[in-house]
Amino acid sequence: MKRFSQLLLSVTILFLLLWQLPWCYNFFASSSDRTPFTIYSTLVGDFVQTLPNQNGKGVVRHDLSGKVYTESEFDSILPMFYVRQLVVDERFPDTICGVSVNPRLAQMENFTFRSTPSEINSVKIGLYPLMESLSGRVDLKMPNDVFRITSEGLEFIDIQSNLINQSKSILFTEALKRKGFLFPAIEIAGNPTVRKDYDEGYLLLDSKKQLFHLKRMRGRPFVRQIELPQDLVLKHLFITEFKNRRTLAFMTDVKNQFYVLKAKSYEVEPTGISSFNPETDDLMIFGDLFNWTVKIAHLNMETFYALKASDYSLVKCYKREVYSHYMPGIHFSSFLDNDIFPRIN
Amino acid sequence: MNTALFYKEWIKVRWYFLLSVIATLGLSGYTMLRINRVVNHKGVEHVWEVMLQRDAIFIDLLQYMPLIVGLLMAIVQFVPEVQRKCLKLTLHLPQKEIRSVIMMMLVGLLLLLIEFASTFIFMDIYLDSILASELKWHILLTALPWYLAGIAAYFLIAWICFEPVWKMRVFNLVIALLILRVFFLSDAPEAYNKFLPYMGLYTLVIICFSWLSVLRFKSGKQD
Repeated sequence: MKRFSQLLLSVTILFLLLWQLPWCYNFFASSSDRTPFTIYSTLVGDFVQTLPNQNGKGVVRHDLSGKVYTESEFDSILPMFYVRQLVVDERFPDTICGVSVNPRLAQMENFTFRSTPSEINSVKIGLYPLMESLSGRVDLKMPNDVFRITSEGLEFIDIQSNLINQSKSILFTEALKRKGFLFPAIEIAGNPTVRKDYDEGYLLLDSKKQLFHLKRMRGRPFVRQIELPQDLVLKHLFITEFKNRRTLAFMTDVKNQFYVLKAKSYEVEPTGISSFNPETDDLMIFGDLFNWTVKIAHLNMETFYALKASDYSLVKCYKREVYSHYMPGIHFSSFLDNDIFPRIN
Repeated sequence: MNTALFYKEWIKVRWYFLLSVIATLGLSGYTMLRINRVVNHKGVEHVWEVMLQRDAIFIDLLQYMPLIVGLLMAIVQFVPEVQRKCLKLTLHLPQKEIRSVIMMMLVGLLLLLIEFASTFIFMDIYLDSILASELKWHILLTALPWYLAGIAAYFLIAWICFEPVWKMRVFNLVIALLILRVFFLSDAPEAYNKFLPYMGLYTLVIICFSWLSVLRFKSGKQD
């Protein structure tokens, strides 16, 4: 007992030292360089950046060739990004690259999309509200029930009574089964918030990795099986619900390839992004009528892609190494998830 | 002998135990009443919505309660024992010394388990009536590390109390604080799920730290 106690205490002290010493060092002495804001300019045909000045005063704006821009010039080369500023200055252009534009169109086409590994890897409650997608009202409303997906089917739970609504559960389960859905679902992607312009329900991957679209329209189930290209095995799904209604979802497959699922036609389009693993990489997309700037951060590397908004083909790619200096040791938390458990990095 | 030891420990902690049961059940009841107030004012839909969309768990008030309960249980049980030099008598009982020490601590552990389990069952019954099982377990699993921290605090404070030398007590206190810090590293719901089995096991085995302090006491170490 004495030996065991001594050993346990020694291991505990060693463990605490390996946790606390690197933590103290990193807290007081670690450093990382400042990440410049980077976005693709359709007018310049290159990535442009803003970075705090070396002396700490002001901001330097430049493109990758080194050309420096004033604040006003910078607004002008990014008309779709600085729409409001250009409108206030009465400098918003009538046409960009031969396409006639107006502020309303710009704001309709602009979108921002973000995915972080901690969102993907965090614990999911497993209850999903299915909103009415075709209510005829402008504002969306949260339903008075939520559903869970079991190995048998969908179960709608009435919030007020906390009981399963059998008839609704059977209605939606049968609708899915009729379209060939094999329970349980291995991936459920939706955006259950009323703070959006419209609702597209959920995208589901069934147990055979077949893709389905599920919505509630006038109280009835809308289910559609989406044809996938041969050999495409999907892994992660993200419903987009952008204002322009061009896309239905972003998707990644088991080989970490990134795809766009088009709205209405349900066509699956590959993109020029070489690799994106939602479980380990941070993703940020600034999209506009002409181009999408995609930033993928993985460990100490940031990769920027400029994609054509029309066919998602690659226009330009830029990689940037991020300098950071941390003392390795035992850590309980990570940027990759919300879990607490000891890990060495 | 064991019954007598149990009775001796029960005599020491009974009033504290009753008081802490009232306090923990009272605080848990107050927390449930706060949820009930939200249900009455905004409807149960609001509770579900806030839990699903904002990851709220509504019982944050209880976070440090088990820690304080466990810590005070150890102080109430072992500080008088050490101050009145009763530990020497306990170690002279006609049975193995380690058995006496472990029996003393198991009494505290048992009482803590009864107290924490009753709080858990109380919360489980209320939450089960208004929430789906997923939401209920989301709350209870988030709270579980807090209750483990209460048990860990009990064992670690016992370890400090039995230690005869003040310098070592301070050292033990630093180690204890760092160990207890691990139980409160994240506010994210269910963040400890993967780590919980290991934490549970570790919490139980640190009972043996006290034996090291008792051995030092037995060997005559003192200020």
